[in-house]
Amino acid sequence: MKRNAFWKAYVLLLIAQLIISNYFRFTPYVMLSILPVMILSVPIRVNRFALLLLAFASGLLVDWLSEGLLGLNALALVPVAYARDSVLRVVFGNELIARKEDFSVNSNGIASVTMAIVMVQALFLIIYIWVDSAGSRTFLFNLVRFLASLVAGVLVSLLTLNALASETRR
Amino acid sequence: MKRQLLLPRLILLAVFLLLEAASLYLLNRNAELQRTWMAQGAHGFMEKVWGVSQSFRYYSSLAETNRQLAQENFLLQEQLLHFQAQLRDQYTEKQKVDSLSGYGLIPAEVIKISRNKQHNYLILNRGYQDGIQEKSGIITRNGVVGIIDAVSEHRAFAFSFQNSDISISARLGNEGSSGLLVWDGIHDNGAILKEIPLQNRYQPGDTVFTSGHSLLFPPDIPLGVAGKAKVVNGATHEIAVTLFQDFSSVRFVTVVHNRDLEEIEGFEL
Repeated sequence: MKRNAFWKAYVLLLIAQLIISNYFRFTPYVMLSILPVMILSVPIRVNRFALLLLAFASGLLVDWLSEGLLGLNALALVPVAYARDSVLRVVFGNELIARKEDFSVNSNGIASVTMAIVMVQALFLIIYIWVDSAGSRTFLFNLVRFLASLVAGVLVSLLTLNALASETRR
Repeated sequence: MKRQLLLPRLILLAVFLLLEAASLYLLNRNAELQRTWMAQGAHGFMEKVWGVSQSFRYYSSLAETNRQLAQENFLLQEQLLHFQAQLRDQYTEKQKVDSLSGYGLIPAEVIKISRNKQHNYLILNRGYQDGIQEKSGIITRNGVVGIIDAVSEHRAFAFSFQNSDISISARLGNEGSSGLLVWDGIHDNGAILKEIPLQNRYQPGDTVFTSGHSLLFPPDIPLGVAGKAKVVNGATHEIAVTLFQDFSSVRFVTVVHNRDLEEIEGFEL
């Protein structure tokens, strides 16, 4: 039951990301994405190959249905899926992976969860912004965009994680 | 156990790379800016790869290139000496004075050289089978290297110019006085031009040439640049000379032999 609830929430968040990508374009300095935290919060029992494919498919879907570049979100999100277990190991320790437990703010603390989000969000943004600029923007612009997007992304991701947790608790 | 863990990891890595490649392919097909950027990156990468391999190829063929250059250098030197002799002949014919010409040239390679003694020597890879004779000079385009002392079938032993027993006749400037040029015994490229008369005017920076009086070396080979001078015994100048020849890197040389040496030495007897 819990499993189905997570996937329902995942689909809803994917739709939310589509809306963000299509309508949240107030400034070129902020690129808001909740895709990294969505991949981060996929249950650990899900096979890593499946996680890679899920990231690829999610990224591609957002690229396809929003006004983005086809392949850009997929390119940035697949490394997040590949590094997800390593991030969890670094932040929460080996036990979480060994027991195949899912993390949450309540059980692991907001600091650790924020750290994990920062890591995946940063990885995603570095690739996204670097490839998106394609050498046509200055390093300073990219840096400001990265920092602004990271702050905004982490805040929105914390809210997203909370929504995912409450959805799966139901 | 390790192998069991390694295989899934490798497959996972392969899937990851495959998905990234698919993403890049899609980007390449759908985004003009990214396509140009990726093409530039790919070209840059290929340029680096080709550049490195080309550099390696150049480096590995350096020995052969050096040999070719030495051969070319030898031919040019031969032509230069030939033209110089022709010029001298024209000049001296007018003066009705016998000219000194006719040097035989043989290219050779230094196979051993000593540089840290007071009596340095070198060994060449040519001997009498190749036409090398004793009392021949050894030169490069940068000046004088030494004098052949003994010859075997395929090798020649020579005294280096960096030998306190060796002196060669040298001239200051194009028409200046001649003196004896000897190694200063200290510096790798240092020499002293002795016995220059006090009345002879000279400027620091003047080029020092072989005079041709020694019979071992053709005249007009540039040897070095004159520096400071000091008066010796109130009678002559001793001038410091910075040699053009770098003895640390000397490898390909030309052996010069005066064909008229025996005839001229016969007069001296």
